[in-house]
Amino acid sequence: MSECIVLCPEILDQDGGAAMYKALLKQWSRRNTSLILDFSATESIDSFGGAWIIKASGFARRKDVPFSWKGQRESLCDFLEMLAPSLQSSPPEAARSPGPLESLGALILSVKDETGEFISLCVDTIYWTLIAPFEGRGFRFNAFMDEVHEMGVRAVRIVCLMNFLLGLIIAMLSAKQVESFGIQIYVANLIFIGFARELAAIMTAVVVSARSGAAIAAELATMTVQEEIDALRGMGISPAQYLVTPKLLAMLVVLPCLATLGLISGVLGGAVWGIFVLGFRPFMWYNQTLESAAMDDIMQGMLKTFFFAIAIVMIGCHNGFRVKGGSRGVGLMTTRAVVMDIFSLICIDIVFAVIFYYILG
Amino acid sequence: MITVDKLVSHYGTHKVLDGVSFEVKKGEIFMIIGGSGCGKSTLLKQMCGLLKPTSGHIMYRGRDLAAMDEEEMSAMQRTIGIAFQSSGLFNSMTVGENVAMPMREFGGVDPQLIDELVRYKLSLVGLAHAQHLMPSELSGGMRKRAGLARAIALDPDLVYFDEPSAGLDPIMAAGLDHMILKLKSLLQTTFVIVTHELDSIRLAADRILMLDLGEVVFCGTLEEAAASQVDRLRQFFDRRADDFIVQRNISL
Ligand SMILES: Nc1ncnc2c1ncn2[C@@H]1O[C@H](COP(=O)(O)OP(=O)(O)OP(=O)(O)O)[C@@H](O)[C@H]1O
Ligand SMILES: [Mg+2]
Repeated sequence: MSECIVLCPEILDQDGGAAMYKALLKQWSRRNTSLILDFSATESIDSFGGAWIIKASGFARRKDVPFSWKGQRESLCDFLEMLAPSLQSSPPEAARSPGPLESLGALILSVKDETGEFISLCVDTIYWTLIAPFEGRGFRFNAFMDEVHEMGVRAVRIVCLMNFLLGLIIAMLSAKQVESFGIQIYVANLIFIGFARELAAIMTAVVVSARSGAAIAAELATMTVQEEIDALRGMGISPAQYLVTPKLLAMLVVLPCLATLGLISGVLGGAVWGIFVLGFRPFMWYNQTLESAAMDDIMQGMLKTFFFAIAIVMIGCHNGFRVKGGSRGVGLMTTRAVVMDIFSLICIDIVFAVIFYYILG
Repeated sequence: MITVDKLVSHYGTHKVLDGVSFEVKKGEIFMIIGGSGCGKSTLLKQMCGLLKPTSGHIMYRGRDLAAMDEEEMSAMQRTIGIAFQSSGLFNSMTVGENVAMPMREFGGVDPQLIDELVRYKLSLVGLAHAQHLMPSELSGGMRKRAGLARAIALDPDLVYFDEPSAGLDPIMAAGLDHMILKLKSLLQTTFVIVTHELDSIRLAADRILMLDLGEVVFCGTLEEAAASQVDRLRQFFDRRADDFIVQRNISL
């Protein structure tokens, strides 16, 4: 039966507290049954000193002995009183990290939840896009035009430039490969068919998903975080109607147009190489290109762009609505949206490749 | 401690403060009141050097904020604590990490003490249980209090609070007032507080500054305010609506 009494220094600040704690560790012995801080010499305390007192009380709790103090002056009472609540409780536990089975279960549940949310967003959007306008329920034409401008008109330059350069690159590459056969004129065919079937659509969609897909996700995520979506719902307006539908329709209009421009620029890029570097006469290259141009190829490419458009907008919106946790969440969701966008573009492309080249052709 | 002299402040071409002058003394609780949108938050941001004055001076301990270079400015800002109107918590950290952030960043705190210090500050604002939550998981009032805990993390000499009690229940708000009074008497902390709460003003304020349309309409102690005949101030203390609104209600 003995008490461990630790005399506190005159000024209990960061250094004084450290000295006090050191003295405490030194004085403590196994036989002690209680811990008492003696404040009779102490004149002032600051928050650091307070934290050292909390540390001492934590020490007492670990040793499972009562903790108290004595000899404090009038002027310290207030401070010690303010300290009291943080002495009583042990520190709150940090969340326990889950075991492997738990994580697996959580993953399955979250995939299920996410799929459910995505499907319900799609159903809502289908209703508001395809059915509601014919029932005479609101269509936001101005928002639609704004989106067309933002997603389409302002993307024209970058889409044309990218496709033009890609056309140039493909022409360089393939001309080099067939040089020894002397059939460089067929590069014109290759460029046209390549761009019509695959490159214009996929290249344009990648550029647009990096531009607009990211913008959609970031915009909706910020709106979710700032309770704007809740405000919208609270007014009885469906976010799918107000936000998603104009974007989706705009993208459905804009992406095929951009892909067409992309096709033209890509073919032009190839022509520039063929005419100025390979030295073909312009009308020869022109005729060769026209000869290879088939409506079928163009249709294949265009058909895909509609599916790309749907994927870009729906994935962007879906991720935007799912955001959690403020500004950091906005960044994470935007990243996720772009990655998912580009991945889904490739998946769609594969499906179409299988359909066109193996099932139909 | 802080002297503001003929301060004029613009956002673009929009003039928000127009020749504001006053002085905050060491160890007092100085409350700024005034209608919504009259420039109180702007004044606070000016006083901690986040905005540059169009003209006029702000002296902190005899040094002009405008004349400070970057290093001096950040050294100055470390001695003050700021809690913004919309809390300004970092979303990517837990509440505890938010409070620990200035302790870690500015050094001078024993690393093994940070945990206790964080717990102490959080329990001062009644948030000890929320240490491991993310800011997005808090309610509006809790976020506000976490912002306060971060502002007082390093025992600053001067604390700016922008509407600390907005969104708090009366019990919490009263607790907060008492905490402010205690910090003032224990650590001689100076407080500059923007508030609309009449009760906090009556309880804690040493002096009051009233702004209206970017100008000072009153600056003085609580007793002077009670005796003052300034119309805007009377209206504020009597919670009287503007006449034109009252009249319209009657005619309805
Ligand atoms: N970042 C900004 N850009 C432009 N104008 C601003 C900005 N912040 C505030 N203002 C304008 O400055 C004026 C004063 O704003 P301030 O935020 O200082 O008001 P306040 O007194 O704090 O109001 P409240 O009590 O509602 O918080 C307002 O008219 C506002 O429109
Ligand atoms: Mg404000």
